[in-house]
Amino acid sequence: MTSTSSRCRRAEGSRLECVDGQEPGASPVVQRLSLQIPLRQPRVRQFGSRKEVFPFPEVGQEELNEINQFVAPVEKFFTEEVDSQKIDREGKIPHETLEKLKSLGLFGMQVPEEYGGLGLSNTMYARLGEIISLDASIAVTLAAHQAIGLKGIILAGSEAQKAKYLPKLASGEHIAAFCLTEPASGSDAASIQTRATLSEDKKHYVLNGSKVWITNGARANIFTVFAKTSIVDSDNSVKDKITAFIVERDFGGVTNGKPEDKLGIRGSDTCEVHFENTRVPVENVLGEVGGGFKVAMNILNSGRFSMGSAVAGMLKKLIEMTTEYACMRKQFNRSLSEFGLIQEKFALMAQKAYVMESMAYLTAGMLDQPGFPDCSIEAAMVKVFSSEGAWQCVSEALQVFGGSGYVKDCPLERILRDARILLIFEGTNEILRMYIALTGLQHAGRILTARINELKRGNVTTIMETVGQRLRDSLGRTVDLGLTGKLGAVHPTVADSANKLEENVYYFGRTVETLLLRFGKTIVEEQMVLKRVANILINLYGMTAVLSRASRSIRVGLRNHDHEVLLANMFCTEAYYQNLFSLSQLDKYAPENLDEQIKKVSQQILEKRAYICAHPLDRTS
Amino acid sequence: MSWAQASLLARGLCRGWGGICGAALTGAPFSQVPPQAPRGLHCSTAAHHSDSSLVPRPPEPPRRPAKALALHEELFRQAPDGARDKASFVQAVQKFGQHNVHRRGHVDFIYLALRKMREYGVERDLAVYNLLLDVFPKEVFRPRSVLHSIFIHYPRQQECGIAVLEQMENHGVMPNKETEFLLLQIFGRKSYPMLKFLRMKLWFSRFKNINPFPVPRDLPQDPVELARLGLRHMEPDLSARVTIYQMPSSKDSTGAADPAEPHIVGIQSPDQQAALARHNPARPIFVEGPFSLWLRDKCVYYHILRADLLPPEEREVEEIPEEWNLYYPMQLDLDYGRSSWDDYEFDIDEVEEGPVFAICMAGAHDQATLAKWIQGLQETNPALAEIPVVFRLAGSTGELLAPSSGLEEPSPPPPEGQEDEEDSQQQRQQQGQS
Repeated sequence: MTSTSSRCRRAEGSRLECVDGQEPGASPVVQRLSLQIPLRQPRVRQFGSRKEVFPFPEVGQEELNEINQFVAPVEKFFTEEVDSQKIDREGKIPHETLEKLKSLGLFGMQVPEEYGGLGLSNTMYARLGEIISLDASIAVTLAAHQAIGLKGIILAGSEAQKAKYLPKLASGEHIAAFCLTEPASGSDAASIQTRATLSEDKKHYVLNGSKVWITNGARANIFTVFAKTSIVDSDNSVKDKITAFIVERDFGGVTNGKPEDKLGIRGSDTCEVHFENTRVPVENVLGEVGGGFKVAMNILNSGRFSMGSAVAGMLKKLIEMTTEYACMRKQFNRSLSEFGLIQEKFALMAQKAYVMESMAYLTAGMLDQPGFPDCSIEAAMVKVFSSEGAWQCVSEALQVFGGSGYVKDCPLERILRDARILLIFEGTNEILRMYIALTGLQHAGRILTARINELKRGNVTTIMETVGQRLRDSLGRTVDLGLTGKLGAVHPTVADSANKLEENVYYFGRTVETLLLRFGKTIVEEQMVLKRVANILINLYGMTAVLSRASRSIRVGLRNHDHEVLLANMFCTEAYYQNLFSLSQLDKYAPENLDEQIKKVSQQILEKRAYICAHPLDRTS
Repeated sequence: MSWAQASLLARGLCRGWGGICGAALTGAPFSQVPPQAPRGLHCSTAAHHSDSSLVPRPPEPPRRPAKALALHEELFRQAPDGARDKASFVQAVQKFGQHNVHRRGHVDFIYLALRKMREYGVERDLAVYNLLLDVFPKEVFRPRSVLHSIFIHYPRQQECGIAVLEQMENHGVMPNKETEFLLLQIFGRKSYPMLKFLRMKLWFSRFKNINPFPVPRDLPQDPVELARLGLRHMEPDLSARVTIYQMPSSKDSTGAADPAEPHIVGIQSPDQQAALARHNPARPIFVEGPFSLWLRDKCVYYHILRADLLPPEEREVEEIPEEWNLYYPMQLDLDYGRSSWDDYEFDIDEVEEGPVFAICMAGAHDQATLAKWIQGLQETNPALAEIPVVFRLAGSTGELLAPSSGLEEPSPPPPEGQEDEEDSQQQRQQQGQS
């Protein structure tokens, strides 16, 4: 099919001139955003790596047609046949709905064509995600099946494993589940208790243990299970390491707990899965024995980017529903839509949808470039931004509905409950922020090592240079990193915003340098600092994506591109000031920096495990 | 002028007026002397002694006018012996008012009543204190000119008013508006009782919640409950669990359990449990005690299970496993750490101590009892079975110190190094209560 060919096509235009000495594996955008600036690299390099995000990735006409062909029937099915209200109420997806999903091929969207899947590129997968997300339970079921459940086989499986399992999984005959979380182990891999021991004849592993919160746990036939195995190290010491296994339900000893009664996504099937003396043949080890940690990490990292487009799809639908209500409902002889405070909410929703859409498709486009670039930071940023945007927007939409949104008859209530999970699963947003910040800083740290060492040693020239630099900055300095201008990558209409981005990037680079100088590797413990670094990075990535997309829209003359320009400028301005605030918070002596107080307050509360203030009505006499 | 000076001066004035009546050294009641001075009604001159008073007692001739004493004592004796409660106390005070329309001898009566309060269990009752203040005649002692307030007006009465307030202070009773009105009526705004009142208002409210580890005012009588309270008081970890390993076999009301089956109550937190499980069985652990813990006026004794600090060469360095966090790197691969100008730690020499694994309070402090505790601990700490336990107990032990046992009872065996502290504590204690 066309997906592979289109990937190659895109490659010609975009990536060829961009690689100039970048480390492979480093996330390109972060690298560009945060790190090159403090180093004051020659401009060439900035231009070079910029090519990945400017211009905004496009798909060819052929591929576009193909996508639209897919999308139409799926959209029809979701709007006409899926009754989300019923799924939520009854707590399960009806059998015929599942069958229809299978027949549409939605169970094998990213399975390569040779194994019977659709073999969609990441961009196309994201596009379909927009539609599928119209029902959260179905979206989660499908995501658990293919974004994590069978992803391990695609990423790390051997040819034989792929040939054996993927066809049935792609057709939906078998459903996959991803079994990592345990009662005592969330993101802490060391505390995994499930064990796999090699049998006497060395042909089987015997698997024992329990996994919790497994989506599709009761429905699945194929499980990707992570368990501890004893590995003899190179130095003859025995160590426990994690290994991934493909476990069929038919191997025996697989039982389920009762389904969890959840707040949202009630139609998805979540339960405990117990393995009791399950005999797994050695050929079902996924990847290497003892290499399960990497497998798990890769699967988790690869599954995230699609949340952006999914939420954007949901938000678009939400805007339709809410605008309708706002225009119909009258108060004081005016419709709600005439009130400024209501209008504001729509601007917010549109802006969020626009940004996360841009981020998601930019990331998908980068992922579709040849050479499997590692975009896990970008994917994590998309996930954090979109999940938080979703929660905020759904809440605002519900606010428009007022009391009528709070009752079960209104779908808003269900959407709100469903949206809450987005902040939690696939790595909670807190954890992903750590990931974003630390991975970025790790990279920055490597580049800045020499410079910081010189500063620490007290090299006079470097210090003078730095001081002089800061002095000049404080006197007011226009930052120009070459995004704008005659041959600039962004359109002049959004040049102001581009300048804001440049300024943010510049000062962020400086702040990162200071942070590394201050904390060094102990910055791992400074979670509040890291959170801000991550927030800034997310904003910067959002700004980049928005500018890139808006520039493209203007240049190719898409419909309503002036609206896009408005949204882009709005977001950039907001993000700019947010970033400035965060940057000043990162300054040690800034009055905005409340870290010490925050820590103290929480310490006192946690010590007593209660709110410790006296009641306002209390008296001492 | 400081308060002490004022009171001394007051006393001097009293004496000058001639009506002097000493209190016996034992603090027994005393009474009014027939007034010889023209204004004897208002300056009945007994300097009194109250344990709670901070006022130094001036040397007084040991005279004891029996009649007046009998009169006031009688008021308190009227109630049948069994009923010594608030109602009878109030009744006695009211009777004084009824019998004695002119409030003759009210100062003596108030001193007497103050001493009696404890017996009647009303020493913490604000209403009763207000009632006592109400015994003073109103308006009479108010200074009427600047000179009056410069030279203490009716010093003996003011002193008595202060004594009331002071007893309130010692029992932690916060005066209220009514107290203020009474004092205003009796002594006026520019008077020492009023000053005392204002100071109490100021400092009481500030000091009331100063203790971050408050102890309930009424301690439980049951030794098991008391032990539970004490253990909770010492253990900072809120998830620690109190276990009763043995209930006392006989529950005497006195709280003294049968020596054969004393109570054993222990506390252990999950962290301590984990630390004990990690403990190297080759190294012994120790049961040490008894150490004392004061809870208000009660002293309880506890034992700890502890180990010595590991020598530095045996300590395991906690290293971050390579494959630990599925989501983000737990350490950065950088070769520089925190810079010195971002280091706020003071240079403190910390004395490290060995870990404490559990605490217990038992009715008896002998090895047999504590061995039972260790046995009980083994149920939740299987590792304990393999670790040698050494008992390092300091002498034999006594029961809980009874609250108001006075001087005659010897203090329980103080463990080494704690004698002084404990003694002084006890002294303070006795000062505070008797």
